[in-house]
Amino acid sequence: MTRPWSEDTKRAFYIAEKDVKIYFFKGPNLTFGLLLPVVLYLAFSIGRTVEPAQAIPGLVAMAAFFGAGAIQAVSLPLERRTGTFNMLLTAPTSLFTIILGKTLAGFFFGAVLSLTYMTIMLPFSTLPNLPLFFVGIVVSSFAFSAFGLFLSSPFGDIPQAMPPATVVRIAMVFLCGVLSPIEMMPTSLQAVAYSLPLTYSVNTLNQAMGGAINIQMFLIDLAVQIFYSIVFLAAAIWVLKRTIE
Amino acid sequence: MPLESAVEVSNLTKYYGKLLAVDHINFTVEKGEIFGFLGPNGAGKTTTIHMLTGVTKPTSGTALISGFNIMSEPAKAKELVGVVPEVSCLYDEMTAWDNINFSAKLHSVPKERRETLAKELLELFGLYERCNDRVGTFSRGMKRRLMIATALVHEPEILFLDEPTTGLDVQSSRQIRDLIKELNRNGTTVFLTTHYIEEADQLCQRVAIIDRGKIITVDTPEKLKTTVQAERIIEVSFDRVEDMTNKLQRLSSVRDVVAAGDKFRLYVEDPSETLPSIFHFAKKNHLKVTSVSTLRPTLEDAFVKLTGLRPEVMAIEKEHAKSAGG
Repeated sequence: MTRPWSEDTKRAFYIAEKDVKIYFFKGPNLTFGLLLPVVLYLAFSIGRTVEPAQAIPGLVAMAAFFGAGAIQAVSLPLERRTGTFNMLLTAPTSLFTIILGKTLAGFFFGAVLSLTYMTIMLPFSTLPNLPLFFVGIVVSSFAFSAFGLFLSSPFGDIPQAMPPATVVRIAMVFLCGVLSPIEMMPTSLQAVAYSLPLTYSVNTLNQAMGGAINIQMFLIDLAVQIFYSIVFLAAAIWVLKRTIE
Repeated sequence: MPLESAVEVSNLTKYYGKLLAVDHINFTVEKGEIFGFLGPNGAGKTTTIHMLTGVTKPTSGTALISGFNIMSEPAKAKELVGVVPEVSCLYDEMTAWDNINFSAKLHSVPKERRETLAKELLELFGLYERCNDRVGTFSRGMKRRLMIATALVHEPEILFLDEPTTGLDVQSSRQIRDLIKELNRNGTTVFLTTHYIEEADQLCQRVAIIDRGKIITVDTPEKLKTTVQAERIIEVSFDRVEDMTNKLQRLSSVRDVVAAGDKFRLYVEDPSETLPSIFHFAKKNHLKVTSVSTLRPTLEDAFVKLTGLRPEVMAIEKEHAKSAGG
């Protein structure tokens, strides 16, 4: 008899709940999740003519991106260093459930941060198409959380995990149309941009927050992000299996 | 239907890259016994426990937990075991109550049951007063007791304890040992790794000795002691404390001498031949014999004989383990 899925789903939520409780207010989360998007935005926009209304979708996407990723750069490596990850491994559940639980915690952090950013930015923006906006945030935060988990999966401690994750994420911010439109980039870089998940998140939020809505494109952007989520989760599990076994 | 063993291991092997950590080991742990897994540091004890509890996958071989294969039916096998690792697996940021409840949730203990059990266990382990304190504020001994309580919250049949008293003070170690005996009296099978040989001797009904990844022997402590029965030990102390190891080594029928505090342990072939020579040696060197006794071989003597590890090395290992544990 196979284990009921409901039990594993509950366990994933318990792990997510525990991660949110423990890691939500850790220093690196607040620094990288809350402050880095606005610092990057200011660093890029000062001295340039970037209209806040044009930059807001990118800023909200960045909040989801850094927020969802920040908790992952801390929770998995720290648990592996301190030995608490063994409590999860010895529980009657699968590595997939553990990884799903951790991804849900990052998803929650990313979604809360991006909604916070959106609320703060509302006076400078038009009211977004709420259903599309929420769907965009949910899918983006999940994909970024899975991405963050994948980036931290080879490492057994925070100082090892943080630098590569930060470098990759900052590079992606400049490549994915967050601060300036992709169309303005050289063709070779555009190809790179379209291979990265953040690009599709910015696209969905651009449409939800005042851009012209093309439902077909919107759905494609969502589908690409869902595809990336599956790939990152599978890759994280594969890497973890290899490093812990 | 035949009764299954609690743990049944066949040809279990683990390679880390090219390093052979555990080499085709075989043993069985019967239900209701305290089984000791003895070996020096790096012998493969923790790797074995990791394989038996699903933390790491064996390279080859099988391990059955109450009949469930840990490789092909890991969830069923894990439901039956509680694990207390050597290093704390508790969340320092969470309270004792939250830690024990989190473990209960992972093992699908129903809400009402887990609250009752958590309270009972925290009371049993003398931690209920501190149940709302963060675990980060706990002493090492309290953490170890909480780890055991956490491992028991789903009422496992088998409890795996990896070096449960390493780094603990004497009083905490005694408390843990008493708890292990109590749990076993209540029917829990205990699988215990330790390199404290006296601990294994006090607690275990049977022990396996592992060295460099291989099981050397599996037997009761008393039977293992008989393997070194031929060896006799004389323990002697003098009124002056100085290093006389080399001089004592030259006495009649002495094979080896080991300093143990202010005493010397003489491993001899024939005590009746050595004893007079000890008094003669004392007189010649203007010493008074303050105590002299013949000793029965201990489990440590059997261990030393079987592993070839000298007592001094064991002593250094113990000190290292204590300082590593803080």
